[in-house]
Amino acid sequence: MLSARDIMTTDVVTISGSATIAEAVKIMKDAGLRALIVDRRSDSDPYGIVTETDIVYKVAAFGHDPKKMRVYEIMTKPCVVVNPDLGVEYVARLFANARIRRAPVIEGKLLGIISISDILKKSDFVEKPKQLYIEDRLDVAREEARAICAEKGATSPECAAAWDVVEELQAAAADKRQEKKTVNSLEAYCAENPDAEEYRIYDD
Amino acid sequence: MMQAQEIMTKDVVTISGSATIAEAVKLMKDKGLRALIVERRSDSDPYGIVTETDIVYKVAAFGHDPKKMRVYEIMTKPCVIINPDLGVEYVARLFANTRIRRAPVVKGKLLGVISISDILNKSDFVEKPKSEFELYCEENPSALEARIYD
Repeated sequence: MLSARDIMTTDVVTISGSATIAEAVKIMKDAGLRALIVDRRSDSDPYGIVTETDIVYKVAAFGHDPKKMRVYEIMTKPCVVVNPDLGVEYVARLFANARIRRAPVIEGKLLGIISISDILKKSDFVEKPKQLYIEDRLDVAREEARAICAEKGATSPECAAAWDVVEELQAAAADKRQEKKTVNSLEAYCAENPDAEEYRIYDD
Repeated sequence: MMQAQEIMTKDVVTISGSATIAEAVKLMKDKGLRALIVERRSDSDPYGIVTETDIVYKVAAFGHDPKKMRVYEIMTKPCVIINPDLGVEYVARLFANTRIRRAPVVKGKLLGVISISDILNKSDFVEKPKSEFELYCEENPSALEARIYD
């Protein structure tokens, strides 16, 4: 599974919470960004974020003067942060549940920012859709199959159909485990040294 | 006041409601777009929209197969549409009230798409912020309140 680190944008710009909205807009325009991370005042201070949505919804929509309003008045702080190792599918789920579209990626320090666009453009959810919680679904399907078979009889078509579902889920779960297979040291060596003698492949 | 048609993006791509999500994603990636307008089936059919947020929230977040899901399952239809003459400040207000970030600009036919980014990058809200009162006076130049005494 791809993780947040693999698809995040490392080009992050921070701004002080006391900067004016006009300054924030200028930075966003110049750097072509849709959000800025708000600087922490100390190591125990949480991260904040100010997005183009905040600016349009809370400043432009009311005709407030961006030169007179400050970032801290419209920012979201503390904001949801993402761990770089979190799987992309879980980032998508987190975003959907929290109704957010971007978040800073943090581990000790600010590493990058991950957005809905990064997930759409750089992740492999189209080529390899991954069902989360497949093991949990497998447990449920198994329980259901047992209940159906107890009720309708072990040779009933309903019972057979229920176990088919279990089998399909088992196959999907097995596929997923397969993907996690680690490379052995020879494979790793060969990948790094494609010209090595050990790497020669003999057909037939 | 600047109008929606002055800052909208004219480069719009439409897609059929029966297309798969995988096709929609490919189109969005190729064209660098964040939303597609869903084609109308007839002149009396409303416009629809499918955005990257819809795809991530409703497909990627659940690990559904984008090759097996269709645009009509996740699109917003009918969607909010914008008149090209609407002032940019009002577009911003409408977006804030309806919690949306982009909408097709329509007058008779589809003219473009206007988004939060267009408002931020192309409008003059920083240089010329307009208060409620100024907006009112601009719309009703003959109102008593709009008289300016030097």
